[in-house]
Amino acid sequence: MTPLDSLVISAAPRTGFAPMQRVRAEIMKIRTTNTWWMFSIGIVLVTAEALLRNGVSHHYDLHPALAGLDPADKAQALATAARAHTHAGQAAIASNMMTSGQFLGVLFAMLIGVLVVTNEYSHQTATATYLANPRRGTVIVAKFIAAACFGALFWLVSTLIDVIVTPIYLHSQQLGVSLADWAVVRSVLLNLLAFIMWAIFGLGLGTLIRSQLGSVITGIAAYLLGTAAVAVIFELIYNAYHHTWVQGAIVIAPAVASLVMTTPGQAFDRAPPQWTGLIIMIGYTLLFGTIGVQLTRRRDI
Amino acid sequence: MGSLMLVLLLLLIIGSIVWYTRNHKARQEEPPSMGGTDPALPPLISGKGVRSATPRPAFDGQIVVSGLTKRYNGVTAVDDLSFVVRPGRVTGFLGPNGAGKTTTLRMILGLAAPTAGTATIGGICYIDLPEPLRHVGGLLETSAAHRGRTGRNHLRIICQSVGIPLERADEVLELVGLTPAGRRTFKGYSLGMRQRLGIAAALIGDPRVLILDEPANGLDPDGIRWMRDLLKALAADGRTVLVSSHLLAEMQQLADDLVIIAAGRLVAQGTVDSVLDSMAHSARVLVRISDAEKLTAACGEDAVVVTRENGDLHITGMDATAVGEAAARAGVVVHQLVTERPDLEDVFLELTRGKATIR
Repeated sequence: MTPLDSLVISAAPRTGFAPMQRVRAEIMKIRTTNTWWMFSIGIVLVTAEALLRNGVSHHYDLHPALAGLDPADKAQALATAARAHTHAGQAAIASNMMTSGQFLGVLFAMLIGVLVVTNEYSHQTATATYLANPRRGTVIVAKFIAAACFGALFWLVSTLIDVIVTPIYLHSQQLGVSLADWAVVRSVLLNLLAFIMWAIFGLGLGTLIRSQLGSVITGIAAYLLGTAAVAVIFELIYNAYHHTWVQGAIVIAPAVASLVMTTPGQAFDRAPPQWTGLIIMIGYTLLFGTIGVQLTRRRDI
Repeated sequence: MGSLMLVLLLLLIIGSIVWYTRNHKARQEEPPSMGGTDPALPPLISGKGVRSATPRPAFDGQIVVSGLTKRYNGVTAVDDLSFVVRPGRVTGFLGPNGAGKTTTLRMILGLAAPTAGTATIGGICYIDLPEPLRHVGGLLETSAAHRGRTGRNHLRIICQSVGIPLERADEVLELVGLTPAGRRTFKGYSLGMRQRLGIAAALIGDPRVLILDEPANGLDPDGIRWMRDLLKALAADGRTVLVSSHLLAEMQQLADDLVIIAAGRLVAQGTVDSVLDSMAHSARVLVRISDAEKLTAACGEDAVVVTRENGDLHITGMDATAVGEAAARAGVVVHQLVTERPDLEDVFLELTRGKATIR
């Protein structure tokens, strides 16, 4: 075969919708490495661990061990058990079981977001990517959508396990609450939102900090330690000025915003309303995304 | 509150999809239409970095670099560089290490932004080319694939991202002889295999223009010959081939035209012959002779005669005819008389001598 034999224009005219093709290419990039299934295994493990932990904890709420408690503690335990047996209490238990694995699961979603961008630099595939699509903003938008898809996938994996285990658990505890109860469904949907938001948040972070190690460490630290750090700072401010809103303002920490967003009712004492969590998560996403797109456009590859 | 949030989210998603779609449509209408690669169409009149909305007749594949400059951190990597690369020929892009070759190629391919000047392909900046992979194939030193991904998947992703049927990945794998390794991961590839994968990626869109940075890196002699045949065939087919390389002997065999830069500036441009001829004054005559001293005396003052260890003479400043006549006058017996033209290496070293390389 001479070199030119196969150089016929098999490159037929583009058919299909270009933005969708870019998104599919980005999804293919994740699908063709082992990251996504390793992360999926991680999700399975953290979900299983959380189900076990939540199950045990709710069991003791419902059936407190009263022997050896002093009267005050006994009364409190009985009150907790009585609350847990009400319809609202049962719905709360079902919601909690159905969202098991969220706390560490969204961390995986964030990491996949980070990897979607930083892999391009650490594996030097950015050259091929931007030669194919020199308009870099369109590539970043496709990455946002792909990261959101994988956030949703991780939610699906986690929720599938929850949806198998939770009815069995509820039955074993003789709780009659239905999983179709709106309070439960709402929690599950907010959980989906959290997974998607964190995947996008991670992607924004990756565009800001191109070093893979740097953005992974920053992301994990922001999620796990950032909350504590912000809590300490705001507590100090509160002690100095005694404005109660200061205690609520802790919601500006992404992890707190996520918690507020996914918790029906008060997430903690003096917590701001649920929607502020959502707004702040969207705010971070837009801020990081915009800065990321701008930086990516200007930087030399 | 939960339902309100879901509605908000839904609105956000719909909003972004609408925005993205409209943006995309606007962009599709914006770029100049190009009449494909039909040679019957009139050639494009050279334009410089124009983002014009008027329809253009055809994509001629001529690369025009004009006043290109790149400065960063106080270093001028490329300094007011201008040259033209013609279609249907292999153009060698030469320069010492750090001369700015790769930086220039990156700017042509839209990966780095010039500080000043323009680089156009077929009259259009790379980033303004509609579906650039169908017009230009690029290979850069930093091109790589994800270590854990197979070579075939790497190519399929590129196909997917530009809307080329995925089967094209297998065709280009076959073309570069990588089919047996297509389903192995990139981390197990040798340097030569990585280079072939990069070339496969450059050929995906069946481009009219190929821009290759050091494509022979890591190839074995067989691979180098394969590459030479491939690039010559592509040029013979009317395509533009711009190749940077350090391998001067290889380049002398491969290239039709040369662009030589040093310290970010152009030092020579033209056909290989014209560049070699520009140094013809340094052509020298090798003589093997019975009596070196007699001939040296007969050569006169204009000639520079160097006696080598084995007794042969190297004479510059006289051509072979004059040396032969001088030998006859002196009555010495000539055993061998050869004109040694400077090869590309001599010319290259002469042209780039004294230019700071590492800056």
